[in-house]
Amino acid sequence: MPEKFPCQRECFIPLSRREMLHRSASGFGAVALAALQSDRSFASGTTAEGRADHGPHHPPRAKNVIFLYMDGGPSQVDTFDPKPLLTRYDGKDPGQFFRVEPTQFNNNGTVLASPWKFSRHGESGLPVSELFPYVGKQADKLCVIRSMTSEFPEHTFANYFLHTGSGLQGRPSMGAWVNYGLGSECENLPGFIVINGGLIPPGGIDCFGSGFLPASYQGSIFKPSGGGVANIRPAKSAVEHQTGMLRLARKLDAIGQSAFGQHDRLESAIRNDELAFQMQMAVPGVMSLQDETAAVRRKYGLESDFKPTQIYGTQCLLARRMVERGVRFVELTCPSVNTDRWDQHSRLKTGHERNALAVDQPIAALLEDLSDRGMLDETLVVWAGEFGRTPFAQGKNGRDHNPFGFTVWMAGGGAKPGFVYGATDEFGYKAVEGRMEIHDLHATMLYLLGVDHTRSTYRFGGRDMRLTDVKGHVIQELIDT
Amino acid sequence: MQTIEQQTMVRNWFLSTSVRAAIRYAWLLAITSWFLSGETLSADPPHDEAVKRAFFETSVRPLLVEHCYECHSVNADSIQAGLTVDSRDGLLTGGDSGPAIVPGKPEKSLLIEALCYESYEMPPREKLPDDQIDLVRRWIRDGSYWPDEPPPSAEAEREVFDLEARKAAHWAWTPIRRPAIPTVRNTDWPRQPLDHFVLARLEQAGLRPASDCDRPALLRRLCFDLTGLPPTTDQQETFLSDKRPDAVERLVDRLLASPHFGERWGRHWLDLVRYAESRGHEFDNDAQNAFQYRDYVIRALNSDVPYDQFVREHIAGDLLDAPRTGADPSVNESILGTGFWFLGEWVHSPVDTRKDEADRFDNMIDVMSKTFLGVTVACARCHDHKFDAISTADYYALSGFLQSSDYRQVRFESMQHNREIAERLDRLDQKFQTAIAQQLSDAGREVIQIDRQPEKSLASIVVDYGELGPDEYLTRGYLFGDRPRRCGQPFLAVKRGRPVVRLQPVDAAVSDDFWHNLSVIQQKAVRDQNRLSDIPRPGRTLRTPTFLLTSGDLSCRVRGRGHVVACVDSHRLVHGPLHGETIQAINTKSGKKQHADYDTGFRWVDMKLDRYEGHRIHLEFTPAVDSELQVSLVTQGATSEQRQQIQRREADVASHISQWEKEANEWIDPGLADQWLQERQVLQAEIRRESALAMAMADGTPEDDYVLIRGNASKPGDRIPRRFLSAIEGNDPMSINRGSGRLQLARSINSTENPLTHRVIANRLWHYLMGRGIVATTDDFGVLGQRPTHPGLLDHLAIRFRDQGQSLKQLIRTIVLSRSYRMSTHSDPRAMLDDPNNSLWHHRPPKRLEGETIRDALLTVSGQLDRQLGGDSIPIHLTSFMTGRGRPSVNGPIDGARRRSIYTAVRRNFLSPFMLAFDTPTPFSTMGRRTRSNVPAQALILMNDPFVVQQATLWSERLTRQYPSTDARILAMYREAFARLPTKQESEAIDAFVRENSSDQKVWQTIAHALINTKEFIFLR
Repeated sequence: MPEKFPCQRECFIPLSRREMLHRSASGFGAVALAALQSDRSFASGTTAEGRADHGPHHPPRAKNVIFLYMDGGPSQVDTFDPKPLLTRYDGKDPGQFFRVEPTQFNNNGTVLASPWKFSRHGESGLPVSELFPYVGKQADKLCVIRSMTSEFPEHTFANYFLHTGSGLQGRPSMGAWVNYGLGSECENLPGFIVINGGLIPPGGIDCFGSGFLPASYQGSIFKPSGGGVANIRPAKSAVEHQTGMLRLARKLDAIGQSAFGQHDRLESAIRNDELAFQMQMAVPGVMSLQDETAAVRRKYGLESDFKPTQIYGTQCLLARRMVERGVRFVELTCPSVNTDRWDQHSRLKTGHERNALAVDQPIAALLEDLSDRGMLDETLVVWAGEFGRTPFAQGKNGRDHNPFGFTVWMAGGGAKPGFVYGATDEFGYKAVEGRMEIHDLHATMLYLLGVDHTRSTYRFGGRDMRLTDVKGHVIQELIDT
Repeated sequence: MQTIEQQTMVRNWFLSTSVRAAIRYAWLLAITSWFLSGETLSADPPHDEAVKRAFFETSVRPLLVEHCYECHSVNADSIQAGLTVDSRDGLLTGGDSGPAIVPGKPEKSLLIEALCYESYEMPPREKLPDDQIDLVRRWIRDGSYWPDEPPPSAEAEREVFDLEARKAAHWAWTPIRRPAIPTVRNTDWPRQPLDHFVLARLEQAGLRPASDCDRPALLRRLCFDLTGLPPTTDQQETFLSDKRPDAVERLVDRLLASPHFGERWGRHWLDLVRYAESRGHEFDNDAQNAFQYRDYVIRALNSDVPYDQFVREHIAGDLLDAPRTGADPSVNESILGTGFWFLGEWVHSPVDTRKDEADRFDNMIDVMSKTFLGVTVACARCHDHKFDAISTADYYALSGFLQSSDYRQVRFESMQHNREIAERLDRLDQKFQTAIAQQLSDAGREVIQIDRQPEKSLASIVVDYGELGPDEYLTRGYLFGDRPRRCGQPFLAVKRGRPVVRLQPVDAAVSDDFWHNLSVIQQKAVRDQNRLSDIPRPGRTLRTPTFLLTSGDLSCRVRGRGHVVACVDSHRLVHGPLHGETIQAINTKSGKKQHADYDTGFRWVDMKLDRYEGHRIHLEFTPAVDSELQVSLVTQGATSEQRQQIQRREADVASHISQWEKEANEWIDPGLADQWLQERQVLQAEIRRESALAMAMADGTPEDDYVLIRGNASKPGDRIPRRFLSAIEGNDPMSINRGSGRLQLARSINSTENPLTHRVIANRLWHYLMGRGIVATTDDFGVLGQRPTHPGLLDHLAIRFRDQGQSLKQLIRTIVLSRSYRMSTHSDPRAMLDDPNNSLWHHRPPKRLEGETIRDALLTVSGQLDRQLGGDSIPIHLTSFMTGRGRPSVNGPIDGARRRSIYTAVRRNFLSPFMLAFDTPTPFSTMGRRTRSNVPAQALILMNDPFVVQQATLWSERLTRQYPSTDARILAMYREAFARLPTKQESEAIDAFVRENSSDQKVWQTIAHALINTKEFIFLR
């Protein structure tokens, strides 16, 4: 709503077509995206089963979301949830202490101490392990939830669940719901962008799908690297001829329209072409990291020796630039670190170290940069994997999937800073205090965005569907007052 | 006679009922003790009551109010698990899982268990501190005092589920009645009776229908609607030059007869059954041979299989006595329909297999009920339907049909042919067996009779091929015949190259080497990691009845080589890390002799299935290629003594038979074995050894399903007999004599008493042709769906459909030949004002083509389209943005091998970005009505997608070659793209463009691309 949501912070000034084509031809790449989508106003009217009262329902705290998806499930007891008992009972049979639930690999070993030390950071004294030295310095910005749970111990179910609130394929992703509820603030970029660092999560791009919502809410997948940023680059020959081609097409449309009569859907289809044209210009603009100072680039890790850090740094920087331009929901997937994703069934030490090295500096830079620019207040950053890991070993030196208690954190966007919510048991296995479900996380995120999760519904297949299914509670304790 | 399996089942059933009885008994004791203590209570002096009351009000009630009422009180938004804790009655009655408290017995009270996080974990957000739990414990121990107070009443009256009331209140459940044809004033307008329904409503509203569209528009409309392709210049020529009054009829008949009709309407159908060729989930494994289902649909639609038959084939095509065959009578077409059940997602390593099964069934029921019935039965999985006359019992009554059925890959091309061979083989063998019996009898000998000894019925035996009833002998294919070989039964063997008559030493299911050398044609694997695929199972498998696994130690008494697979909760995608133990190789050749006196060659093959105790499983045995496999029995949890007892018995009988075999052979005519072998060989030569495979259903062990409380797979409730929806056929169990009962289910779906099926399909056809259904929500005729805009018209069409032999083509023909179909896109301004949503049908809104159709049209106009029908799919073209686990190993060509879009592989995790942008549905559930969004991505694709640019280029190159002059090229372009001549203005605009860009070599490419980017290319007038 315009009165509650002032226009985007940085108005994008469309270049002329001539300029645009000049830029395209000179190597930035005029780019189209297979699922580059935009404003609801261009998608409504033709949709299927109608929108209800979607939002905003109350004054929002956050306008945008940056979702840092930690693919594979980082270990809570090695990152943000220290458990000294693991060291004391290292090597002991976990069955002595608690009931061990069935696991994905069924190859359960002994209690496994964390190889990393924790130390307290900032005024809040929030403990962070040495896997995250940079993020540790931003501890006072974090709102750490140590009592998250999931319903699924398998990647794909858990990924769909984290992204869509359902373990099965075909439901709209969070980013789609948020845009459905609030619309886009940016007419020349999609409202839901996934910057793919290299690893598409198990379950595939349906983690970012629009499900039964119209295609306009699909996540658009961007690549952070090179000049190519999206699905479709026009052939060189087509670039040269695009102006003339479109001019002719519009002319013929104008002539041919009388054969159809007056119809909204035709007119909005023609408007789409204009919009598409603006997008072709906006994308090279947002991707142009040369605009950033050397200091900023360094801070994000773009000059790191470790390639995955460079990639993730670029993703984080792009995310900030997109949010600046009003992109509602940006999700980052992880870069490949040449071991597995955060899914250390074995060799926990190497694997977690490399994954953390890739994301630590960029995430810290993002938090600090958003804060410096006064954007953190209105940008909700969420860091989450699909589940955590077992406090006991898988085999000798791995950890298996653990949906019973794990850590996610939020920052900015109205989340309470320097705060720890909930707790797992003394081994870090199951949430025992402030047990939260993924639905609660979704409900709370939507709440911060000004959306009542019970009211943002879409009728499909005989039900009024919502992101939180029939569940979810807003966790008020997480909200900064 | 009760078979061993029945006994086992009965025993298992007894076991579980007696356990249940024990629990109930314990519970009764507790209740009794409460009554006793209750009496004591009332005898307590008032002072004691005051103390109890104070304790309750200060320590217990506040806890309940604060931590439980949100979900468990009459005023909760939605009461969870049916439990209320705001009254003593509520606690005593309890919820779905039984009483919440047992007064006096905190240790037996579910409430305490839940508070201690021992079974349930309540309150869910955080465990209460121990001292608070102690307060509740103390309260229960002291008799659970509750003051005498009126029962709590909900502030708002809670709606009670009343199926009959809901049925009576909603239009969709009313019987279909033949409506009178409405009279209209303008009697010249209607061409079909259906037009009366449309016009009458318009006249009532004082509106006029739009005029007819022009002939080119009609031609293009019909070609796209019926075949999904633009009219070729030949088609245009034929139609536009046909001046006879029935030219349109002739055009429609040509289009209905076109093989492309099936492709067009097949794509609509595939949307309903969430068609895909991979399983999604983590690794996007192949859905093997799914394309055979796609081709089946195309063929069936092309040959206009009556809809009731089409439905029957989907539900129970494997069970038909006389299946429909193709041009080749060996091919079983009908069975292919059942593939639709299995087009959903599959999970490769579920931690909880029962939950995985429940989710799969949910999807199957969801798709079946929406597709055929237009109702959302799956909404009733966890609770009675929130709005419709569908109960949870209805859901589980239907899931019983699935519980009683199996998945398989079927050798559909050879099965009819080989079935006949199998029957002839059976007769042949019986002839010789009778002859042998006769010869022995003539010689004064009898065929040996083995009395079955009681020890055979040991508790540990779950399957015994010596005692199995004929309905329980389940096989896939003909290798194992249609019954086990019994002890002493003569069979033909070949020993050192010579045929000999042997007597079967051990009761067993035996694979017959008569069927050696079978081979299969498989779809080329894209990503097949299923370990079961390595075993040559299709058409070569023996399936035991389903049983409850009570012990993880399973042993199979077998002989030969092959594999045994334990199918747990119908999970069949085995690809680490879990469930590897469900597959076990069999090779008894290498095993040690087990009996000093006599070796039958049978050995124990053990499986360790502890993980699955308490689950329902069955076993599938498959011989290795060209090896023999015999299966005698299966035990679970057998002690070594019991196993030895079985071995001893087996050896005794076998040695006895062996003796007898020697003697008998002296009395049997030596020429008989030669003759037997020769006749077998003659027959064997007729076997059709090779066949393609397809996914199909088969009957398993008939079982009714249990309600799962709140949909939770670990909480079974009452058993619900299989039946159809109670709103249509009542609550009585269906009478099912044997098997799954799916044929009866198909009959109910097809019944003329069923008000849904024919309305649903008639409405679908209307929707696809007119752009909006009479019921706009094509997959939901329920309360949350929309009401029919023209109820009489809907029933008129449904009845007409029945009267015309359930021919889809006939109803399509009827609709497209109507005046209503022919309205132009030009609406009357007055009508637009009065009825802006066009709900009365006063004009035809322009229709945007689907992604597939746009792509097919591009290929057609460029002249590139390869019109070949059917066959293996073309791999999806992978852009660099399409990455992730399960990425297909092969990257398809950018032009999809120039085939129609329906032949591009549908990989769940790698769907075409082109199609997704144009609203092709993600295949997860029935999608009878696609969204038609209008987003910049579509424009960007038409502007920039390399495929589009490529086709524009090819089109322009062909035109340049074919037509030398500018005028001729412009003319050809308009005819090919829009089936009409360019207007003068259009010609001039293009002509001017050519002149302006005369130096540009690629000016025609630009023009071609521009035409593709006009709205007329993707919209129908």
